[in-house]
Amino acid sequence: MALNKRRFDALIIGAGGAGLNAAIQLANTEARVAVVSKVFPTRSHTVAAQGGVNAALANVLPDNWHWHMFDTVKGSDYLGDQDAIEFMCREAIPTVYELEHNGVPFSRLDSGKIYQRAFGGQSQNFGGAQAARTCAAADRTGHAILHALYQQNVRARTHFFDEYFAIDLIRDDEGAILGALVLEIETGEPLLIEAKATVLATGGCGQVYRTTSNAHINTGDGTAMALRAGIPLMDMEFFQFHPTGIAGRGMLITEGVRGEGGYLINRDGERFMERYAPNAKDLASRDVVSRAIVTEVKEGRGVGPNADHVLLKVDHLGEDIVSKRLPGIRESGRIFAGVDAVHEPLPVFPTAHYVMGGIPTDPYGRVIVPQGTGEEIVPGLYAAGECACVSVHGANRLGGNSLLDILVFGRAAGLDVIENLKENRNHRPMNESSVEAAMARLTRWDQKGDGMPVRELRDEFRKTMEDHAGVFRTEEIMSEGVEKLKALRDRLPEVRLHDHSKVFNTARIEALELENLFDTGISIAYSALMRKESRGAHSRPDHPQRDDANWMKHSLYYRDGDRMEYKPVRTKPLTVESFPPKERVY
Amino acid sequence: MSRKASGLKAWALQRLTAVYVGLFSLYLLLVLLFAAPDGYAAWRAWLGGPLVSVAMLLFVLAVLLHAWIGVRDVLIDYVHPIAIRAALLGAIGLALVALGLWAAQALILVRLA
Amino acid sequence: MKFLVSRFNPDADARPYMQAFEVQVQRGMMLRDALLEIKRLDESFAFRHSCGEGVCGSDGVNVNGTNKLACITPVSELKEPVEIRPFPGRPIIRDLVVDMTQFYQQYKAVKPWLVRNDPMPEQEILQSPKDRDRLDGLYECIMCGCCSTACPSFWWNPEKFHGPQALLAAWRFLADTRDQATDERLDALEGPYKLFRCHTIMNCVEVCPKGLNPTQAIGHIKNLMLKNAV
Repeated sequence: MALNKRRFDALIIGAGGAGLNAAIQLANTEARVAVVSKVFPTRSHTVAAQGGVNAALANVLPDNWHWHMFDTVKGSDYLGDQDAIEFMCREAIPTVYELEHNGVPFSRLDSGKIYQRAFGGQSQNFGGAQAARTCAAADRTGHAILHALYQQNVRARTHFFDEYFAIDLIRDDEGAILGALVLEIETGEPLLIEAKATVLATGGCGQVYRTTSNAHINTGDGTAMALRAGIPLMDMEFFQFHPTGIAGRGMLITEGVRGEGGYLINRDGERFMERYAPNAKDLASRDVVSRAIVTEVKEGRGVGPNADHVLLKVDHLGEDIVSKRLPGIRESGRIFAGVDAVHEPLPVFPTAHYVMGGIPTDPYGRVIVPQGTGEEIVPGLYAAGECACVSVHGANRLGGNSLLDILVFGRAAGLDVIENLKENRNHRPMNESSVEAAMARLTRWDQKGDGMPVRELRDEFRKTMEDHAGVFRTEEIMSEGVEKLKALRDRLPEVRLHDHSKVFNTARIEALELENLFDTGISIAYSALMRKESRGAHSRPDHPQRDDANWMKHSLYYRDGDRMEYKPVRTKPLTVESFPPKERVY
Repeated sequence: MSRKASGLKAWALQRLTAVYVGLFSLYLLLVLLFAAPDGYAAWRAWLGGPLVSVAMLLFVLAVLLHAWIGVRDVLIDYVHPIAIRAALLGAIGLALVALGLWAAQALILVRLA
Repeated sequence: MKFLVSRFNPDADARPYMQAFEVQVQRGMMLRDALLEIKRLDESFAFRHSCGEGVCGSDGVNVNGTNKLACITPVSELKEPVEIRPFPGRPIIRDLVVDMTQFYQQYKAVKPWLVRNDPMPEQEILQSPKDRDRLDGLYECIMCGCCSTACPSFWWNPEKFHGPQALLAAWRFLADTRDQATDERLDALEGPYKLFRCHTIMNCVEVCPKGLNPTQAIGHIKNLMLKNAV
């Protein structure tokens, strides 16, 4: 049977904040743009972002983008590229105003301006007093933003392929990307979408871990597709564990809770963050707070029958603040922990939350790979959002910078595609062998027989990732982990689907996702094993210090032969002075 | 009823007629309970009074209008084939008009007596 | 705990049927967890789900006759045997997965985006906290479809009646002081079908997993229409 084909100027894979903000730029021009998403757009995981988006609007306290830049560089533990960070912090301000103009129902101050709250790692005047930089729509900011962006795309008549799963990128012999092979979930039919430019905006990969704040859909599809197309992933060892997931379940309790005045206590009722971060206390950077919680529990000061979590105290804020500013949290606490935050503290423990690494791009969203001594652009390929690594988060992302990242770089990618289309008016010739390779990835799952079921290998894989690539990482734990993961990977060809039906076969989708989890997860574990220092979220008790002399560099993992390369951090900003590395204390 | 009137006006009329029907029913109830006319002649005299007869005519109209809108709503909800719906609407409309005319006739006869 | 789940695979089945599963219940288990357990027993079982915390709106299903969001419905609250069916009134694609196209079309039909005719200011459009408060209870909608697929008026006229979800969205923009398309929005809602099929049955209010009140929003629209007409 002949393969169905469609042609567009631009193809965007993923309909979260990054994908939709790229799409809207293109849809507002003459360009023909297709957005492929494996779920209906408003189901994308941007919807779950709670606290808000950072921009130095100075609506509450004095602020400017340069302070925001300093905090982000420091938060990144000096691994973020300072040109990209400057770009993002400057763009933050018009980006938030544009969102507001697009209809986002931000909470308001008495002045009528956008409400801003304090978040971890924010300071005035380069490390001074706490700043209030996070623009919020109650504690449902991601929901408010995602819906507004979807609405604007509906207005602009963006062409959506809802519930289509991207199987693989199609590329020619020169490495240029020609589009993607996708699968219509409802019918089970493949479809080839040709595009002059393809934007990967597939989001995160938290599902590689067993306990995560991430949704079922966050399976690292884009990062795995890039790997299979020969593109390396950058800085994958830096995975953020959010300090306050609901203990045992993983659902997120926003940092905004601590921004509004909530704080953590241990078994003795002690506000332990005062010991770990005397100045910022509970609003220290996320990696610092997560390690503090794990340390408290390890040293026997945990709460609960198994002493396996700590408590987040909110009840002193009063019902008014909680129901006005944190209504969603009160709801989640009640449903998932059986606790009313107005009266009782919430049980919390760190949960796998966000990958700082991803597909290497420049600030215009163009995917870049090392070539000789320099770098070169992969023709026709862009990446934006959590699946990309610009890199603005370096070794640790600040709260409120992820919504910012997806919006700023989604927009930048969309705008650059528009420029790109002016120069590239024609589709490149299709490369049939690449299409065949992508089809093989699909048809592999038509094999019948009594192999291991998908869920069995998936469970084992996610448990191994959690045990061997978690908050604290030693050589021993991690090298054992990498061996185990490789052994599991070797068993992947034995896995069989038992349901081969066509219509809305979610088992087939989960099988394809399993391969993506493997490719992405192993890049995390392998990059982590190789980095022999502690920096940001990557914490090694056997190498407790940051080692700028040897390790102030980005790591690049190639799937082919599990190979690592490294490239220097871009320490020179666009217009201002560079922030030299300093010891990071809060 | 014109096409344009069929949304907001129908809804508003239904509410307006409901209020009038409610108030007038209450008045009728009070009359029946506390000042019921005694015998046929007294009834005719009461109903033939200028205020009461006009109010009663309005009441009948309001009930019919209210019924028309309500029945129309039910038919729009449940009867989708347009020919059947039109036939039913026509028949019910005619019946309601006939009822109205009959009531008007009775009231006029009462007035003339 | 015993679950009866509606199954339908268009490749093999002429019509949906109920299949029984026994699931070991854990403390704090949500209905979504139970459905995932069932999927472990039978990988051919299909249902939509994603965030697991009641914000993405994927996993609306009909449980013992009521539409609910599976991920925030504790199984301990459910009567045994738990009967799980797809949303009523929608074409079934497979098992619990229904075709929501019409639901989304009705949403798009109310032009659910902010309309500004004035030039945009350099900064934010100002809005007082009081005016912003009017949007509470409206913007939180997650488009799960529990309400519209529980609405008899939507069952009878899904192609013409907007349904509670879309009308809640319509009021969300009418209530927004920044929006400048009030007259156009109201004009578009005129006629016997789009808005006025609502007979305040209030199933929507009863089932909304976010505690929103579409019936009230519809009432607000009607009142505003009336106010603008006289």
